[in-house]
Amino acid sequence: MSTQRTVGILTKRSIRNIRRLPSAFFPALAMPIFNMIVFAGTFFAVTKIPGFPTDRSINWYMPLGIMMGAAFGGVGLGFTAIRDIETGFYDRLRMTPTSRMSLVVGPLVGMLVRIVMTTTIVIVLGIALGARFTGGVLGVLCLYAAALGLSTIGAGWGLGLAFRFKDMRGAAIMQLSIFLVMFLSSAQVPLNVMSGWLHTVARFNPATNILRLARVGLVNESSPDHLAWNSVWGGLLAIALMSALTLGFAVRSLQKLGD
Amino acid sequence: MRRKPAETARHLVALSRRSTLAIFRQPALVGPSLIFPLFFAALGSSAFSRAISLPGFPAVDSYLQFTLAGTVTQGVLFGSVTGAAALATDIQDGFFDRLLAAPTSRTSILFGRLAGSSLFGAMQALVFLLVLWPFGVTVQAGILGYVSIVVGGFLTAFAVGALMSVVALKTGSAEAVQGTFPVLFILLFLSSAFFPRETMSGAYRRIADLNPISYMVEGQRSLSIDGLSLTAMAQTLAIPTGIAILTTLLALRQLQARLANR
Repeated sequence: MSTQRTVGILTKRSIRNIRRLPSAFFPALAMPIFNMIVFAGTFFAVTKIPGFPTDRSINWYMPLGIMMGAAFGGVGLGFTAIRDIETGFYDRLRMTPTSRMSLVVGPLVGMLVRIVMTTTIVIVLGIALGARFTGGVLGVLCLYAAALGLSTIGAGWGLGLAFRFKDMRGAAIMQLSIFLVMFLSSAQVPLNVMSGWLHTVARFNPATNILRLARVGLVNESSPDHLAWNSVWGGLLAIALMSALTLGFAVRSLQKLGD
Repeated sequence: MRRKPAETARHLVALSRRSTLAIFRQPALVGPSLIFPLFFAALGSSAFSRAISLPGFPAVDSYLQFTLAGTVTQGVLFGSVTGAAALATDIQDGFFDRLLAAPTSRTSILFGRLAGSSLFGAMQALVFLLVLWPFGVTVQAGILGYVSIVVGGFLTAFAVGALMSVVALKTGSAEAVQGTFPVLFILLFLSSAFFPRETMSGAYRRIADLNPISYMVEGQRSLSIDGLSLTAMAQTLAIPTGIAILTTLLALRQLQARLANR
């Protein structure tokens, strides 16, 4: 069976699971919506801090909600892989004459389709709640690129851990590591507003660059980050490097799965 | 079957001891409810250090001082799920039925579990106060303030534990109890636990105004920042007591329903 055909079949299976397992899809949709609403509501006043790059809290926290959803949606692929390993489905897949690469790429494409769906729903809801894209279509595209990139990184990390641990121990590490990476960044406030240890950590955290990419089309036009190439390339580079690393980790771990 | 009060008390003590030991013997279960609130407090102290000068914020030296009450409440809310999940596990693995087969006081099965959760809640509050103390976070109300916050932790854990026990008794599923965790998370965020209500706006502000957690947290916050006052003490202690009475009645009713269905 060709790699392309296997990828297509596994992608369809992944998308079909939305209908078959809505209990797994709806939390992935509810989480970004919940994060967007509670952060924008609770920290409504942070935009009044001098130097804050937007005057709408929803503009700052809608991308955070989407990115959290994308990151956890990505590692969610690891959860599915653990379930498939535990039920023996992966053993059956590995006995078929398909390339190992398709076992990673197929579910990954299905996950990216799901992320496009959730991102679109959250953006529509965010606009209804007052979010405004100051960067127009380009800003929207940057947000989608950041979400798809981060979910790819999360998927590589989740699959790699799933193939290494083969049980729910891997799931705990997936969730905790993504949680830490996301919060130890400019998730809540921009770098110029934070202070102390978090500022140092967030500066070197690649998630900060990806979040900056996500927000370039949502900050005020007067902000230096507004559709600035300086804010875009760092995010794209972080996505490319981290995706290569985590997907490489996933493929290597899959190759060692049967050992 | 009517039991002597001394006999019921003996059952209650034995089951309370069991549930308390069970909580402390599972560090993997209780650890997150101690570590995560402290992590968020540390995160907030760096991220929102400049927010304390915003209009609507009380006069505090640091965001850490402001967030002490939110940290205590967050930890206690999340920790109190553990006891109810253990009650559901007792139902799942048949220990609940074995207790019923024995001449055990029925209510002590419920209150024994709640005692364990409540003691853990008080301990969590004490741990948060002690851990944040070297960072300059003190309770201006003095010893009475410290005691009130710890007792408030006990009462809050009892109230939430009883509410979660309703789910445990109704479903007999530890997963269902854990599944209600996001509800607590939402309730906490829709309050003034992390930012003052005065800085919120619109519908979100109105929800926070209606949320009893806001007033409970603000009572502890007032003890911590402003000093001792009757209003702050009442908010810290009376609100969780009121909720505890209500949720205990619900839990007892659910216990009776489960016993009647056997």
